[in-house]
Amino acid sequence: MKLKPRRSLTMPDPLVSLIDVVFFLLVFFMLVGRMDATAPFDVAPPISILGEDLPTGGLTVSVGEDGRMALDGVELDKSELITKLAQLHENMPNLMVRINAHSSLRLSVLLPLVAEIEAAGIGDVVLVVTPNPI
Amino acid sequence: MQLARRKKPSALISMTSLIDVMLILLVFFMVTSTYLDLDMMPMVQRSDETVAPASSTAAAGAPLLLQLSADGSVRLRGQVIAADSLAAQLTGMATAKPNLRVLVLPSGAADAQALVVLIDAATQAGIADLRVIRPEGG
Repeated sequence: MKLKPRRSLTMPDPLVSLIDVVFFLLVFFMLVGRMDATAPFDVAPPISILGEDLPTGGLTVSVGEDGRMALDGVELDKSELITKLAQLHENMPNLMVRINAHSSLRLSVLLPLVAEIEAAGIGDVVLVVTPNPI
Repeated sequence: MQLARRKKPSALISMTSLIDVMLILLVFFMVTSTYLDLDMMPMVQRSDETVAPASSTAAAGAPLLLQLSADGSVRLRGQVIAADSLAAQLTGMATAKPNLRVLVLPSGAADAQALVVLIDAATQAGIADLRVIRPEGG
């Protein structure tokens, strides 16, 4: 009587190494990646040689070259933005706001915005900069 | 003759669905992650709200007023300071007056990059007390 050869119950070797590699890649991207709301317009922050490490958390206010503003990726006009920030500050007294402004943004737009955010009660405002690659 | 009883093979959990889920998660993280290397510089700090002690203000003496023009040039007492010598000049002043307070009066037409360059130069010179003046209505 001829018996059928028994099927191997172990997984084929190449598949095991594939799972290992995929798992390492998954952990790598989970640790290294940073999910952030992107502005609905182009923002290239100013370049700085002496910037400090950007803290995590808080809200991101993006300001485009033409003065368009967005809060965590949602475009708003200035009055809406300040109202929203003031409301959020009531619930989170230690709220930090990051201003991600375009490098060509005029200071006549940037400085009043900073002043209005401060006037809304927010005492921690930082300007996002790009480290100088040199 | 007594034959040995064949051992029942243990059930094997299928790994295919696990691999599928892992691959989907991997693609998700690869696509959604951003890898921007960003820094920051403080604009408003809680410590700014507290008034500096009178003794430190007196020790610092009169503040140094720097004007930032629309073209990004920096003026001190009406004289334009060359961009490459700005940090060196500020270092000299900061060495002469250790608690020097610097006030920056920017033109509204200057851009954010020009202000950052000026703040960088002041920080490089060791100036810890720098304030940006916002002109009324500017």
